[in-house]
Amino acid sequence: MLPTIFYIGLSALLFVIGVCGVLMRRSALMVFMSVELMLNSANLALVTFANQWKSLDAQVMVFFVITIAAAEVAVGLALLVMIFMRKQTTNIDSMTTLKG
Amino acid sequence: MELVIFSITALIAVIGAVAMLTSRNAVHSALFLLMNFGAIAVLYLLLQAPFLFAVQLIVYAGAIIVLFLFVVMLLGAERDEDETNPIRWQTPTALVMAILLIAEVVYVLISNPQTTVARVGNANVFAAPTDIARALFTTYLLPFEIASFVLLTALIGVVVLHQRRS
Amino acid sequence: MTQLAWLLVLIPAFPLAGFLLNAFFLRGERATGIVASLSIVASFVTTLVAVTNLAATPEEARYISAHLWDWLAIGKVNVSVGLWFDPLTAVMTLLITGVGALIHIYSISYMHGDSRPHRYFAYLNLFVFAMLILVMSDNLFLLFLGWEGVGLCSFLLIGHYFERDSVAPGIVPSEASAKAFVANRVGDAGLLLAMMAIVSNFGTLSFFGADGNSGFISRLTDASFITVDLGLFGSIGLVSGIAMLMILGVAGKSAQLPLYTWLPDAMAGPTPVSALIHAATMVTAGVYLIVRMHVAFDLAPDAAGVVTVIGAATALIGATAAITQFDIKRVLAYSTISQLGFMVAAAGMGAYTAAIFHLLTHGLFKALLFLGSGAIIHGMHDIQDMRRMGGLRTHMPTVYRVYLIGALALAGIFPLAGFWSKDEILVHAWYGAQNVNVTVMLIFASWLTAFYMGRQMALTFAGSTRDHDVHPHEQLGTMKWPLYILAVASALGGIINLPGIHWLTDWLSPVLHHEAELFTWSMGIFAAIVVISAGAIGYLGYRLYSGELLTQIKAGEEDPAHYYLGDIWKGFEMGWGLDYVYQRLLVRPYRTFSQFLSDVFDRQAIDGILVEGSAGLVGKVSQAASRAQNGNVRTYALVFLIGVVIIVGYVVIGA
Repeated sequence: MLPTIFYIGLSALLFVIGVCGVLMRRSALMVFMSVELMLNSANLALVTFANQWKSLDAQVMVFFVITIAAAEVAVGLALLVMIFMRKQTTNIDSMTTLKG
Repeated sequence: MELVIFSITALIAVIGAVAMLTSRNAVHSALFLLMNFGAIAVLYLLLQAPFLFAVQLIVYAGAIIVLFLFVVMLLGAERDEDETNPIRWQTPTALVMAILLIAEVVYVLISNPQTTVARVGNANVFAAPTDIARALFTTYLLPFEIASFVLLTALIGVVVLHQRRS
Repeated sequence: MTQLAWLLVLIPAFPLAGFLLNAFFLRGERATGIVASLSIVASFVTTLVAVTNLAATPEEARYISAHLWDWLAIGKVNVSVGLWFDPLTAVMTLLITGVGALIHIYSISYMHGDSRPHRYFAYLNLFVFAMLILVMSDNLFLLFLGWEGVGLCSFLLIGHYFERDSVAPGIVPSEASAKAFVANRVGDAGLLLAMMAIVSNFGTLSFFGADGNSGFISRLTDASFITVDLGLFGSIGLVSGIAMLMILGVAGKSAQLPLYTWLPDAMAGPTPVSALIHAATMVTAGVYLIVRMHVAFDLAPDAAGVVTVIGAATALIGATAAITQFDIKRVLAYSTISQLGFMVAAAGMGAYTAAIFHLLTHGLFKALLFLGSGAIIHGMHDIQDMRRMGGLRTHMPTVYRVYLIGALALAGIFPLAGFWSKDEILVHAWYGAQNVNVTVMLIFASWLTAFYMGRQMALTFAGSTRDHDVHPHEQLGTMKWPLYILAVASALGGIINLPGIHWLTDWLSPVLHHEAELFTWSMGIFAAIVVISAGAIGYLGYRLYSGELLTQIKAGEEDPAHYYLGDIWKGFEMGWGLDYVYQRLLVRPYRTFSQFLSDVFDRQAIDGILVEGSAGLVGKVSQAASRAQNGNVRTYALVFLIGVVIIVGYVVIGA
């Protein structure tokens, strides 16, 4: 078995790439995808630790995360479509209605 | 042997992620993300989580990515990013923060020897689908039901969102 | 409480009830006037009953007391609401309710057609109520309540025409009422300090206590050796200090030097109010206070000396100012100041009975004169300038007759009321106190009194009409009877204390412990000289202004005497310029300071820095903070990430 550190390092790397995606891409779709990437990296870390401690709980947790992610993607994309129909764009820089 | 598989899949995962990040076309990005998800699924298999391997492929690769592709193509938003970035200092600051975060992670991983402790137990397959099913329907029955409820709510929410208003 | 005590409560209760009825329920002009008058008449009748009951009590303990309830109990000091009815209170109460009732009845006609009759009568009732509380209180604290109450009511009534910018002769009612209030406040401060001194040294404010012998007055004698250290200012006897502080209160309320300036302006109110303030209530409070506290003044000769000097000086200043005035009420106002000076001087010289005697007779004839002048003003259609009158004898025969009686009484002509009371003061000054300077001042003042009354009679009633635009008429209505009654009383009022009979002295002796002085022939000759000279000077004044000088008097022009006396006359006319001094020294700097506060300080510091400044600061900060809320999700996420990096860094490195 490989040391846990390998998987955790990979997980962290993927997480940071996801973060960069969220911060640097301007298309709401791309931001969404980056968020999914971050979720996945977190799942990877969970599964890694589950394997280290031979525990089922973390895997069940990952299962729930995936379930909720699916729900979230469905709702999020629906919102995105709504926004697109209204603004004809998915550029999140143009969504500044909450400006104070 | 394990190291080889891990290295290859990790490489694929990182390449997929970076390519997703840098690709101009949203469809390409979605496909690179699919590649990344697949690599992670393989890693789940390496980590003795066959059930999650299946779920990852079915839900993420099968459902979510398809949904993304649907939406991208439906909206025709493959290249929905103008070239000028309105917030100039956003990208450099983000990169600096990302590097700092990585540095912190590296610091943790190097300075904390406990992350390389020997594994507890030695059962090769501790999380067979049957085990997970047992756990889900006994210990985690309530969260399971709640999760199903959340899914139902999301479903209804999406329908309501796209109701045609007269 | 005995039945008698309940009777006592009724005396102030009637005016209070009248006030409440008028203030809250009645609105019709007739109804308010009748209710107000009836309440005072009822109070007067009750007083008569109470006086007859009082006369039946043994002379050693001639008082009725009614302890109603405890008002304040702070530590050992217990302030009660209680009434005290002794011979001194009795005469004061009779004067207040008697003359007050007449003034109320008079007001029914005088205020006919006024826009706020219920208000006027309500305040009038309240005025009488406050004055009754003042004289009937059994402790200084309740007295102070009445003291403040009359101050308040004078403020309200002087400002009755508050909506007018100016009333004759060029007084602003709102300013006049404020002036009266402020001048009284200065005096009140003195009385308040005196009360504090009494509380801290005697632990009680009750005059006589429950048994008539346990109040602070009976303990003043024991305290006469106590001195108070004033630091840089040396030291003063405790009793002297209390008396001195009270003098300030007296000067404010009784319009004495140096606080008399409010009284001439107090005629901005309706004329019956002037009558009430000048004759029956308010200004008599100061004299009453001195007489009530006479033990203190007896024990403090220095304070009594100050009182005498103030009184004599005020008598002279008031008289000189009165001879120069053209406004019919202003003459009477300065005359009141002068006569109050007589009373205060008499009290200062220890002639308390004479002071009260003069207070009573003056109350009668000054009420008569004010009500008479009110009738004249009414008949002249609100003209008060005597230069525009003249020849009213033919137009207003009734008013002329009663006014003549009042004028003669005030001038001290034999055998009217003023003669006896003023004479008693002068005799006491000459024979009793043997104070030559004061006697000369007072005699001179009484000569001037005769002179200005002669002048006023000439200007008002003699000759022929000078202003042909006015058509005087005599229409008295209910004003008639008060004038008659007061005329009779002014003529015969001296009876109560004739030399040799001295009912008033005997009546007051349980309080004042004064024996009637033996009447000697030299006193009679002294009095005869004074009265004959005063009569001659009064006639001189009348002749001067009804003969030669009359032709030179025209509306809006100076008095002929101004030609001879020049600026001295002018100075008299300004009331010795005290007003001017206050205006320059106090009012104007204060106004400038207030102006500075309102224009510069308020606008710059309060508005600019505190109000708008703080609001502006909050606004600026909010604006800066709201810039963070730019609505850009990516920026939010970036800030979020920075937070994550910092927290993770802290946990990783710190842990």
